[in-house]
Amino acid sequence: MSDRICVGAIAGSYGVQGEVRLKSFTADAQAIADYGLLHTEDGTKTFDVTLNRPIKQGFVARLSGVATKEQADALKGTRLFADRDRLPSLPDDEFYHADLIGLPVFDTGGAELGHVKTVQNHGAGDLLEIHGPGLKATVLLPFTLQNVPTVDLTAGRIVADPPEGLFPE
Amino acid sequence: MSRSVWKGPFVDSYVLKKAEKSRESGKNEVIKIWSRRSTILPQFVGLTFGVYNGHKHIPVNVSEDMIGQKFGEYSPTRTYYGHAADKKAKRK
Repeated sequence: MSDRICVGAIAGSYGVQGEVRLKSFTADAQAIADYGLLHTEDGTKTFDVTLNRPIKQGFVARLSGVATKEQADALKGTRLFADRDRLPSLPDDEFYHADLIGLPVFDTGGAELGHVKTVQNHGAGDLLEIHGPGLKATVLLPFTLQNVPTVDLTAGRIVADPPEGLFPE
Repeated sequence: MSRSVWKGPFVDSYVLKKAEKSRESGKNEVIKIWSRRSTILPQFVGLTFGVYNGHKHIPVNVSEDMIGQKFGEYSPTRTYYGHAADKKAKRK
């Protein structure tokens, strides 16, 4: 589990007053301002974000310590990270995508099937996209109690009982 | 314009046969289908179909609220991954 997760990016400056165009990656776009101080990828800079108004593909925001257009321009392309422990805890059987991605997946016999590459949802339930060394292409595994009986975040492993024919023998 | 009521919902016949066979066997399996145009019927609830998107079969767990839709609606042909950020997955 990583300590920080990417929640947004600075798309550039907005106007001449030192405001920035902010792209939000959170499920509820406005929630980007709820996770406290946001950090750059290398952790050298920290910002307090205030959303001013929505615009196309994001928000106009003011960042602490950014007062001029030049300072805002210099931040173009910077990705912003929130501390993982700022996210609220979830009920049983709900997981953050960020926690699942990268976990190794084992079958019920203990053999490794691969790693979780992404979590997708096309309207018919969540799917774990699993990528493994023995797989030619990624495999989509329905994220159900029947197919994924164990998700152990502390041990960092997922146990899967995939349907017949999903993984090559 | 909606389809005439007297015609009934369209389903490719091989989908019905495969679904019936899978239900009888009781196995946990993904039923591979290529028919994106078939309507989801009440007898498909609880089954998992692998709906072809031109590239691979996307698993679709059929639930009650999907009845009347087409299989293709749940198997997008273009994929946008986006960012994980604070998005949640629920195990059902």
